[in-house]
Amino acid sequence: MRNSMRPTRQTILLALFVAIASALHVAESLIPVPIPVPGIKLGLANIVSLAVIVMFNWQSAMLVVLVRIIIAALFGGTFLGVTFALSLSGAVLSTAVMAFVYKWWQPPFSLIGVSIIGAVTHNMVQIIAAALLVSSMDLLWYMPYLVLFAVPMGMITGITLHYFLAKLTRLKLV
Amino acid sequence: MLTRADKLLIAVLIFAAVCSIIPGLTSVAHEQLFAEIRVDGKLIRTVALRQGYSERIRIGTSQHYNEIEVADKKVRVVDADCPDQICVKTGWISLPSQQIVCLPWHVVIKLSATSQNIDGIAR
Repeated sequence: MRNSMRPTRQTILLALFVAIASALHVAESLIPVPIPVPGIKLGLANIVSLAVIVMFNWQSAMLVVLVRIIIAALFGGTFLGVTFALSLSGAVLSTAVMAFVYKWWQPPFSLIGVSIIGAVTHNMVQIIAAALLVSSMDLLWYMPYLVLFAVPMGMITGITLHYFLAKLTRLKLV
Repeated sequence: MLTRADKLLIAVLIFAAVCSIIPGLTSVAHEQLFAEIRVDGKLIRTVALRQGYSERIRIGTSQHYNEIEVADKKVRVVDADCPDQICVKTGWISLPSQQIVCLPWHVVIKLSATSQNIDGIAR
């Protein structure tokens, strides 16, 4: 589907995805997470990253992620701060891993599997970045709790994406 | 919707996570616990937790602070001026290897059953 897309159309769609991703990123920072673990996030914006990987390619996804993180940081007033560094490292690496898994291991994994791998990578990279930040490897103690949290979140984003892509195809938007 | 590989992935992840959580939960609660307060990875203070003992410790610089409360066998951050307030929201900790983290001010408070410095102050 990507070959038939004209450059203007592609630019507009990517801009829309950046807008959706930024809105999700800002919205999820307003939702309190029940467990107080540094760097934990719902990962709703990951839906958009994976959607762009599927509809376009990994380069476009990386671009959308970078622009989204910068815009969201400007909205939240966290630009170049701790939160910014954590979301940047988590989002960039999880997008890279998702792109790799999508390209080579899908199948056997479905989009939900790819999404779970992305969510787990996101949380693991964030906690490692946080541990480096406070120079204390004790933070890695949180890792199993983060994995337990990431698995259902990855499933939810994967299922959302599944229906989102089905709808897009039906509307002939892509 | 889920493939076999997906289900296997979920099972492996949850199994690994649960297996690494369980040993921490079953550790003996009667041990003598120490609260280790670290800033930038450096041990600032070690407080032995015991019944009837309480103390308030204020750490930080002229720019920012965390106020830590030690009461009986538990520890919490009462107040801090960090933007995310995760350290305050964590609340009381009282089990071995539990910790309170303040990312913005690089503070980690961890409970451990073995002390690195029995006498309390390490600088």
